[in-house]
Amino acid sequence: MIIDAHAHIWAGNYEQSRADIINICEQYGVSRVYISGLHSAYPNEDEIEELNEEVAKFINDYPNYIGGYCYVNPRHENALDVLKKGIEEQGMAGMKLWISTYCNDPLVYPLVEKCIDLNFPILIHAFHKAVDQLPNETLATHVADLAKRYPEAKLLMAHLGGNAYYGIKPIIECKNVWVDISGSLFRRDDLDYTIKLIGSDRVIFGTDMPGASYLVNLGQVEEANLTDKQRQDIYYNNAVSFFDRGFRL
Amino acid sequence: MNRVDVNSLVGHWPFRCLYKNTFKDLKTEHIKNNIDYGYVASLNSIFYNDPFEGDEELNSIIAGSGYKHVLTINPLLPNFEYDIERGLEEFNIKGVRVYPTYHGYRLDNENFLRLCQLLKDYKLPLFLPFRMEDARLNYIIKPDNIPYYDMQAFLIEHTDNTIVLLTGYLGEILTFKDLINENPNCFFDTSGLKDGQFTIEKLLDSFAPEKIVYGSLYPLYTMKSTKLLIDRAKISDDSKNKILYDKIQQ
Repeated sequence: MIIDAHAHIWAGNYEQSRADIINICEQYGVSRVYISGLHSAYPNEDEIEELNEEVAKFINDYPNYIGGYCYVNPRHENALDVLKKGIEEQGMAGMKLWISTYCNDPLVYPLVEKCIDLNFPILIHAFHKAVDQLPNETLATHVADLAKRYPEAKLLMAHLGGNAYYGIKPIIECKNVWVDISGSLFRRDDLDYTIKLIGSDRVIFGTDMPGASYLVNLGQVEEANLTDKQRQDIYYNNAVSFFDRGFRL
Repeated sequence: MNRVDVNSLVGHWPFRCLYKNTFKDLKTEHIKNNIDYGYVASLNSIFYNDPFEGDEELNSIIAGSGYKHVLTINPLLPNFEYDIERGLEEFNIKGVRVYPTYHGYRLDNENFLRLCQLLKDYKLPLFLPFRMEDARLNYIIKPDNIPYYDMQAFLIEHTDNTIVLLTGYLGEILTFKDLINENPNCFFDTSGLKDGQFTIEKLLDSFAPEKIVYGSLYPLYTMKSTKLLIDRAKISDDSKNKILYDKIQQ
């Protein structure tokens, strides 16, 4: 059983995104994929609304395969309303933060507090880059800061923080931070290094598809130095805990 | 028919600790992935001031194993021609690997062009990596990518060389589709195919399977990932075999 906790549909390419994800589920036996809609780096309110509507539509069309994150731009005045709509009307399973603000910006606090009230998990893009770091692009240190401020919040730091050597140490002691392996990183030792530092209980499988390859991400878990139990936890059990709104920290 | 990994390495990578970097590790992973042998180069040689010393180390490790030795050359170093002669005589090398972006030259550098001529004379393939790491993950040394126009000009002007392009991304490979197809002795490997879904299937819309060679960039990259791209591709067994078998020597 495999849950992919990090995938997307992209505006301007919805149909291809949907087709790729469903094909992957059917061809490779993926149980469930959690998606968010993305497009521009700094989306306006209309764009956010459209992206979340498309995610909701995808959930409705494929309820057995697709779960969704409500994508929020914390700079928008209606951000809290967007989140409430996502939770109450659109059947979202979590909140997604991308690159509009650092995740520990005070603009994010009310959103996190709402998520804590409802025990709603939060997926945070985080990526340390040697080149082309974006303004306001969250790093693991920002995630750790948010995690310490809100220890009841369930946070999923994406991409092992981009570069595991910058991403994992800051969140070692943050037991409310899970990490996903998604992306196009490919390196042989990143997962083994991560597990050496934080164990396997907080590691969740994700792909970042359709942009990144499902099979490349799968291969990283298959090749890592893991027990069968650890592998199954990463593929499935840890995600079940993360999304379980009955499971509180 | 032998299944081969054209892009495998042994040694240390100075920027991070590699957990599975011995020749024994490489062979073990090849066996797990049903690969019979590899074209193997020394990671150490990239960084040694005399790369040949890294290749002497490599030869002492792989001699008699059936693995093919790929010699590392930095053409900016004096009398690299001598190293190739020795590599042929002492290690029975089956190719030469270069690192323009680490060693600091462009593809129109006169020493590099002399190297290409020599490889043509010796009928040795040139292994040319687009990259060794994702540029976003580089540490301390941040090599530039090979400029697009440099690669384009190189491929246009070296149709007589056997060239194995390594660790190119899907978009890069497709960008050079016509030039790769025009040179019957130009191949590309699988180790950079991290983007998108069903990449092998997509590539076969543009290339014959004989143009694709299996390469892992192990131990820097995950071997299982690239092998799954082929094993699970919805293509014929014949196409899979054509990708996996060793055609560099031919």
